[in-house]
This record gives sequence, structure tokens and C-alpha cells, in this order.
Amino acid sequence: MATPSAYAAPAGLRSGPSAAKIAVWWFLASEIMVFGGLLASFVVFRLGGGRWYDASEHLGVTLAAVNTLILLTSSLTIVQAFAAAERGDEPGVRRGLALTVLGGVAFLGVKAVEYSIEVSHGFVPSAGIFWSFYYTMTGLHALHVLGGVVVNAVLLAAPRARTARRVEMAGLYWHFVDVVWIFLFPLLYLS
Amino acid sequence: MGTHRHPNYVAVWGWLVALMAAGLAASVLPGGRHVAVAVIFATAAVKALLVALNFMHLRFEPRLIHAMVLVPLLFAAVLALALLPDFAMRR
Amino acid sequence: MTATVERQARHAGFLRTWVFSTDHKTIGRQYLLLGLLWALAGGLLAGAMRWQLAWPDTRVPGWGQVGPEAFNMMVTMHGTIMVFFVAMPILLGAFGNFLIPLMIGARDMVFPRLNMMSVWTFALASLVLLASFFVPGGAASAGWTAYPPLSARAEYTGVDWGMNLWILALALEFASFLMGGVNYLTTAMVLRAPGMSLLRMPMTVWQQLIAAALFLLSVGPLIAGAVMLLLDRTLGTGFFAPDLGGDPLLWQHLFWFFGHPEVYVVFLPPLGFVLDVLPVFARKPLFGHRWIIGATAVAGGLSFVVWAHHMFMSGMDPRLAMPFSVTTILISVPFAFIVFAMIATLWRGSIRFDTPMLWALGFLTMFIVGGLTGIFNGSAPADIYINNTYFVVAHFHYTLFSAVVFGGLAGFTYWFPKMSGRLLSEPLGKAHFWLTLVFFNVTFFPMHHLGLAGMVRRIADPLQYEYLVPHQWLNVVATVGALGLLASQLVLVANVARSLLAGRRAPANPWQANTLEWLAASPPPHLNWGPSLPVVHRGPYEYSVPGLAEDWLPQAAPAGRTV
Repeated sequence: MATPSAYAAPAGLRSGPSAAKIAVWWFLASEIMVFGGLLASFVVFRLGGGRWYDASEHLGVTLAAVNTLILLTSSLTIVQAFAAAERGDEPGVRRGLALTVLGGVAFLGVKAVEYSIEVSHGFVPSAGIFWSFYYTMTGLHALHVLGGVVVNAVLLAAPRARTARRVEMAGLYWHFVDVVWIFLFPLLYLS
Repeated sequence: MGTHRHPNYVAVWGWLVALMAAGLAASVLPGGRHVAVAVIFATAAVKALLVALNFMHLRFEPRLIHAMVLVPLLFAAVLALALLPDFAMRR
Repeated sequence: MTATVERQARHAGFLRTWVFSTDHKTIGRQYLLLGLLWALAGGLLAGAMRWQLAWPDTRVPGWGQVGPEAFNMMVTMHGTIMVFFVAMPILLGAFGNFLIPLMIGARDMVFPRLNMMSVWTFALASLVLLASFFVPGGAASAGWTAYPPLSARAEYTGVDWGMNLWILALALEFASFLMGGVNYLTTAMVLRAPGMSLLRMPMTVWQQLIAAALFLLSVGPLIAGAVMLLLDRTLGTGFFAPDLGGDPLLWQHLFWFFGHPEVYVVFLPPLGFVLDVLPVFARKPLFGHRWIIGATAVAGGLSFVVWAHHMFMSGMDPRLAMPFSVTTILISVPFAFIVFAMIATLWRGSIRFDTPMLWALGFLTMFIVGGLTGIFNGSAPADIYINNTYFVVAHFHYTLFSAVVFGGLAGFTYWFPKMSGRLLSEPLGKAHFWLTLVFFNVTFFPMHHLGLAGMVRRIADPLQYEYLVPHQWLNVVATVGALGLLASQLVLVANVARSLLAGRRAPANPWQANTLEWLAASPPPHLNWGPSLPVVHRGPYEYSVPGLAEDWLPQAAPAGRTV
């Protein structure tokens, strides 16, 4: 259902970003603080040195690199879906959203495979401070990916609810999730 | 409402992949550890900026929206800074 | 357009109108109801604690023997309930929801369904917290600050599921207020009526917005910390466990990074109420109105860099003590300015001593006391001695109580006619005020001395410490005060009940105030305004404008009615 018109501001009174966009950015600001807090904790622990970080050698960089590629590409496909929505290209919107959902599901699948490999080697969350951080950071991120997949899937499945603005908002959230991974990957796997 | 100018999304994606490759390369190639870390995080930062400015259209948004991103980043940095004495300088 | 929605509203049944409503006024009342119920619980817990402290190891009426574990639980839940389940839902959830759209001339929040979801999430959080009292092991007992390892290992408190539910309840509460905060901020940015510029918005709205922004920007690290704590408890991660490579101090930093801005999240909304009440009852403009906004913004920004003043004695790096002392002393400057601005507003005013004004004056005076002791606490060398004593308890009760109770009641008695359509009794209101003021001071003033005498916080039996025995009479005085304070609230209950059942009907503007909400009927109908929105021509504080017949000039009165 579109914006309840009884609540909308009188037309022509204001320009600038829509209410939805402002709201999503406020939400993302709070999410920056959530991941910022988590990542800041990890970074200062890392800067404190210690052998605990050596456990990162047990991570599968290849799988994670594949996941990084998947997420980067899904960011492309969702912004293409938005561009398509703006020009009224419905098939383009469906294609973009479908590819994004696929990418998100693939990311979660690869993550699940990674987790199962690690667990089978005994690298569980309680195995050390590195693993505590690893599972918490990637787990919280994965939960956010799951949320994004759900939102994108709903948009894909409900054409009448799928305004260009909503695709844009879903995209903003999805890009944020991508940016978090852009930092998680080097922090955990590469350094 | 719509952004009438679109960046070339595929070109941006190309840069993202290239930067990812550069970071990966720096992590496996032999050489100074510090240089590698610098390259890895520099490429990550540039990738994040590319996504934020182009895919998230920050380059077309008013300063208010920029502030809503920069202020929390600043606060997170303050937190990290204040945590350094207790966690990075003790061990 | 509006007619369709009104028609729908008229056909809505009881559930749609009062339970699953998207109307900001109903949602505000729902938050108020939930907050008041929790206030009863929090107050009774305080009464039980005070009884135990005055007469240790006697039977507390309504509870029985209070042992150390039970006392820890009471201390924990009293703090948790008062901050997160009383102050925030009432001051932000109830007043913010009810007033923001009305004061900016909007018909509702910009996201009404998100608003409904926020209050239902809060209701769910309340259920979870309530459940925590009834699980094996009882409710959380690690202090409202939940420091590990006490909070991380069930064997230290004997509480297991209660602590997990506590974390879950807080997570839900945070989600609820994040939703609300996004709604408030976006609404004020996009739904202001014609002519309502940002600087013409009343202080009540400004303070709600700054508080919402503070909450939104500060809660993130605590959410991260809460996830870490939950995982330490359930999955055996080692974030806060030294033997596993972690550090308990990490929790303290993450908690207080949020914890300090949080106290301003609680303080700013009632400050806003008082800043709006004072001009109305002094018939004078608010002094330095724009500077107050600036000072609040400065204080809000500074609030993000003072947090370690809660940690001077934690064993953190001593080099952090000086910078955080400096920032803490600095933050008193903008607040001092605001206090002076309030006094200047009163100066040479035509003061009307109605109940809302009494509460506002009580807020001002009690906050000054609390603010002054804050300076002692904020200076690291002094804090070495007084940290974790009852001196701190006195400080934060003088500041928080003046905010939540005095400021909250200033707002409540002022806007009650608008919310309910009835007038409160002035004699009962005045009696309630004086009783509360007296008993409040009897309860908390002795705590300054008790703290300086060395009584530490969170102990269940002061008589176990020889050096406290000569000071025990102060504990008895404080308890008598506390019991009196609790009993005095019955006067408010009687006043409200009488008004709701048989009180005089309130006109639209019983106080002759300028802000927009007084244009709407008491109570305002669904969608607040008639066919057209009000149009604003001036700021909110045009009182005693020279040359006018009346000593007030509403924001929406037609233009050209200045000199």
C-alpha cells in the first residue's frame, strides 16, 4: 500500500530526500555504530598483539574471497534493479532483484560451508578469542545478510508493493551490508 | 526524487573487483608485512568509498546525508582511540 | 483524501482503535500506561530495598526476608526498570509520540505503522523482562550495569535464564526505541506545518530530537557488547574472560560509551518540558532560546567523550583519567548556561504558581543540587574516594529524579488537559508536589553524608560494617523518606482518577499558551486538525509582547498581529 496520503506533507512544501531515504540513513547510522563498536573492539585487541591472531591461518581465504566477489556483484545487480525501476523496465527490475537474492543465498551457503569445515576441525566459538570474534562478527553480518535476502525476496515476490523508492531503500541497506563485509574480509582473513 | 545522473555501475563494479584482487595479491605476495597491510586496508577503504558514493548515491545526496554517515564514523573512531590504552598498549 | 481515512477510522472496532492503533496519541498513551505500571514495580522494589537497609534482616512487608542474593536482584531490577522501562517509555515514548506531531502541526508521525510496531516491541520487551522474575534462579542480579564476570558466569550470581532474558528484553527495548527515534527524527524533518521552521519548533520537540539522535548514535556499541555477553554466557566465547584471552574492561567501555549519552537521553526530554512550561507560567519569552539549542547540541556531542568518568576506579589505564576529567568538567558548562537561561526566564516574570510551574521550579532547584555534586564525581582525584559510595547514588538520584519525576510531572500536569480532556485538581496537585519535594529530599540528601562516611553501593546490610554503625540513623531517615515518597504518589493517583471520572472538562487552551498543540481540541481528534493544517507565523515564546492587549501571541495567530 502506498504512503497514507492523509499523513503526507502538503505537496511543494519541501524538496530534498524523501522521508523514506532520511529514515533509512538514520537507521544505517545506528548500524554503523553497532558494527563500529564490534570492529573497534576487534581492532584494538589486534593492535595489542599476541599469538591469538595466528588462529586466522585456519580460515579458508579462497571461499571467503569467492563470497566477497558474490557480495560485490549482488550490490551491482540491486542498483541495476533500481535503475531499471526508475525507467519502468519491469523485467530488468525482476532480473536484478532475483540475481541479488540469489547472490545473498549463495553467500549464506558458502558461509555455512565455511562454518561446517571450521567446526569439524574443532574451531568453535569457545576455542579461543580469535574464534569468538570471528563467529560473532561474521555471524552478526550473516544475520544482516539474511534480513536483506528476506526483504529483497519480498520485493521480488510482490510486484504491486515494488515501487522504485522501495527498491532503492532495500538497495541502500544491501550496500551497507556489502560495505561491512568489505572491512570484515581483510580484518579477519587477510591481515 | 530520482537521481537523474547515474554513474556507470558496471565500471564501478570492475574497479571493485580489481581492488579486491590487489588486496588479495598484497596478502599473498612476499614483501614487507607493513606494506601489505597498508595496501590491503587502503584498497578496502577505496572499495567502501566506491560503493558508498556510487551504489548508495552519496555523491548526489545533500550534505545532511553525508553528515549522517560521517558523524557515526567519527564517534566509532573516538571509541577505538579511547580503547587503545587499555587494550593495545598493555600486552 | 482525509474523508476516506476518517470514515475508516469511524468504522474501526475497539481493537483497532485502542489496541492496534497507528494514531500517535493512542500509542503515546499506551507507552504511558506501560511505563506507569513499571514505575509501580520499580518503586516497590526501591521500598523493599530501603526497608532492608534501614532494618536489616527484618521481614520486609510484602516480601519476607531479603537476603543478599535477593537484594542484588532488587538493586539490579530497580535500576534496569527505572531507566529503560519507566523513564524512556514515559519521557520519550509517551510524551514524544503525543506531542511531536501536534507541536509541529502534523497529523501523525510520518511512519504510523512503524510507530505501532515500536510500542508492540516495547510491550514484548516488557513481557520478557517480567518473565525473568519467574524463571529458575530469578531475575538478573549483576547490577543494571551488568559487569562481567559477575554477569557472564551463572555460578557467580545463581541466576542463569534470568540474565539471558534480561539481555533479550533490553535488545527488544533498544529495537523499539531505535524504531521510535528514526520516526521522530524523520517526522520533524519532513512533516512540519507551513511556516514551522526548525527554529520555530518548541524546546520540547528539539530536546526529543536531540535525545533520539543521542540514543541512536550511542546504543550501537552496547548492542555489540550485549551480543558478546550473551555469547560469553551461552556459547563459551571469551570476550570478557581473561582466562580465554578477553577483558572485563571491554564491557565497561562499551557499556558506558552508551551509558553516558543515555543519561542525557533520559534528561533532555523533561528539560524540554520545563523549558516550555517556564515561559508560559512566567508570561515571558524563553531567555536565549537559540543558544539553548546550541548548548544542548554541544552537551550532546560532549556526552560521547566523557564516559570513562564512570570507570576511574576500574583499573583502566590511568592516563585516561585526566582527559575524561577535563571533558566531564567541560560538559557542565553548557548545562550551567541552560540553568542560567531558565533563571533569566523567570527574572521579572509574572509568575503563575500553578502545579506545572511548581514542578518546573522543583526540577530547576533539585537539578542544581545534583549538577553540583556531579562536579565532585567527575574529578578523578575526588572520585577515588567517593566512587561506588552512596555519594554517587545521591548525585544520580538528584539529577535523574529531578528529570524523570519533577520534569516528567511538570509535563504531565501541563499536558494532562490536552491528553485527557479533563482538568486536574489544583489543590491535590499542589499537595502532591510539596509532599514529593519534602520526602524526596529526606530520602536522598542524607545519602551524601552516608557516601562520604564510606557506605558503599549495593550492600544489603550496612550494619556488617563497624564504621557505618554510627551513621545507621541516616539510613533510617532515608527509608522513612522513601516510604513517605511512595505513599505520596497516591495523591497523584487519586487526582488522576478523580479527574478522569468526574473532572471538569478542559478547554482547548487552559494555560493560554502559544504552541500549536493548544489549537487542537482537548483531546485532539484523529488526524489532529480539521480540514487544513495550521499555518505558523512566529516562534513559540511570544509572551508579554509590548503593545499587545494579551500577554500571549499563539504561533498560528494570523500574521500582522505583532506590534
